[in-house]
Amino acid sequence: MTATLTDRYVWAAARSVPEAQRRELERELRERIGDETDALLDQGSSPEEAERAVLTELGDPVALAAGYVDRPLQLIGPRYYLTWWRLLKLLLAIVVPISAVGVALGKAISGAPIGDVIGSAVVVSLSVVVHIGFWTTLVFAVLERSPAPEGKRGLDALWTLDQLPATVEPVRTSRLADLIAAVFFLVVFAVAIVWQQFGIPWVPQLESVPLLDPALWSFWLPYFIAIIGLEILFAVAVYAIGWTWWLAGVNVLLNLAFTVPALWLLLEGRLFNPDALAAMGWPWGDAGPIVVAVAVVTVVGVAIADVVDGVVKTWRASRERRTAA
Amino acid sequence: MSTDDLTAGHLQELRRGTVVLACLIRLRTADYGYALLESLNALGITVDANTLYPLLRRLEKQGLLTSEWNTDEARPRKFYRTSPAGERLAETLTGDWKLIDAALSRLTGDDS
Repeated sequence: MTATLTDRYVWAAARSVPEAQRRELERELRERIGDETDALLDQGSSPEEAERAVLTELGDPVALAAGYVDRPLQLIGPRYYLTWWRLLKLLLAIVVPISAVGVALGKAISGAPIGDVIGSAVVVSLSVVVHIGFWTTLVFAVLERSPAPEGKRGLDALWTLDQLPATVEPVRTSRLADLIAAVFFLVVFAVAIVWQQFGIPWVPQLESVPLLDPALWSFWLPYFIAIIGLEILFAVAVYAIGWTWWLAGVNVLLNLAFTVPALWLLLEGRLFNPDALAAMGWPWGDAGPIVVAVAVVTVVGVAIADVVDGVVKTWRASRERRTAA
Repeated sequence: MSTDDLTAGHLQELRRGTVVLACLIRLRTADYGYALLESLNALGITVDANTLYPLLRRLEKQGLLTSEWNTDEARPRKFYRTSPAGERLAETLTGDWKLIDAALSRLTGDDS
C-alpha cells in the first residue's frame, strides 16, 4: 500500500518534533485533517480534492508542527536579541583589534615585508569577525531553544540604569577630564625629553649618557618640545570650544608634524645617541629590526588612534548640535 | 498596507485574548477541536484553525485544560475540558473583560 498524502504530511510534520511528542502530534493531526476533510466532503468535494485542499491549507508541515509544540521559528528571538547584539558588538570591538595587532606584530617580528604584515592582519581580522559572529550566534540560537527553568527568565540579563550610554555630547566635565589627561601626559613627555639629556638614572648603562642624539638639540628636540607646547594649547582650545571640524583638522596636522619627523629620524638612525646605543649593546642580535618595527607600529598606531578619536568626537558633537538646532 | 488590512490586524489584536476566554467557558463541557471551532464561529467568535489547535495544546500544557482521547468512533478524537485552574482563570478574565467594557463605556460617555 502506498502512503497517502495525509500519511506523508503527518510523517513530515512529526519527524520535526522531539520523539516523545511525535505520537501525540500524529494523532492530533490525523484527527484535524480527517474532520476538515469530512467538512469539505459534505460540501460536495471529491475525496481527492478535499484531501489536497485541506493539506494545502495546513501549509508547510514543519511550520505547522513548530506552532503545535511551541518551537521558535527564528534563530534568535526578542528575548535574547538585544543581549546577543550587545555581546557581539563588544566581542568584535575587543577581539578583532587585538588579533589584528597581534598578527601584525608577529609577522613584523618574523621579518615579513610590510605588504605581508598588512595582508595577514586583514585576513585574520576577517576570519576573526566570521568566527565571533558564528559562534556567538550559535550559542544564542541554542539558548533560544533551551527551555528556561520554571519561573526563571533564562539567561537574558535584566536591564539596569547602569547600562545607559554616556551622554553623546561630551559635557564639560568629561572634556575637563580629557584636558587634564592630555596636559599631564604632554608635560611628562616634554620633561622626559629634557631629562634624558642628563641620563636615565634607573638604567645603569645610561646613568650619565643622553638617550637621544645631543646633535638634535640644534633643531629637532626644540621643535618637538614646541609641538608639545602647541598640543597643550590645542587641548585647552578643545576644552574651551569643544570639537569642531577645523580643530579636528588641526589635530591631524599636529599629529603629522610630530610623527613624521620622529619616524624619519628613527629610520635614518639619527634619533638615538650612538653612545647610548653602544652602552646598551645595540643592536641586540637579530632583535634590532623587530624592536624598530614594534616602535614604528606603536607610534603610527597612537597617532592614528588620536586622529580617529578627534574625528569621532567632532562628528558626535556636530550631530548633537544638529539635533539640538 | 490597505485600510482593510490595518483594520483586520487591529481586530485580530483585540480578539486574541477573548478566544482564550471563550474556549475556557465553552469547554466546561468537553469537546474536540473541530466541533469547538465550528461552535465558536457559529457564535460569531471568529477563530482560525491554525490558531485554535495550537492554542488548545498550549492551554493544556499550562494546566488550564485537561484532555482525553475518545476512541469510541472510527476516528480517535482528543476531547478537551476546562480544569479547575482554567475555571478560576475564566472568572478572572471575565471580571477584567467587564471592567474594560465599563471603562470604555465611560470613555465614550464622556465624549458625547
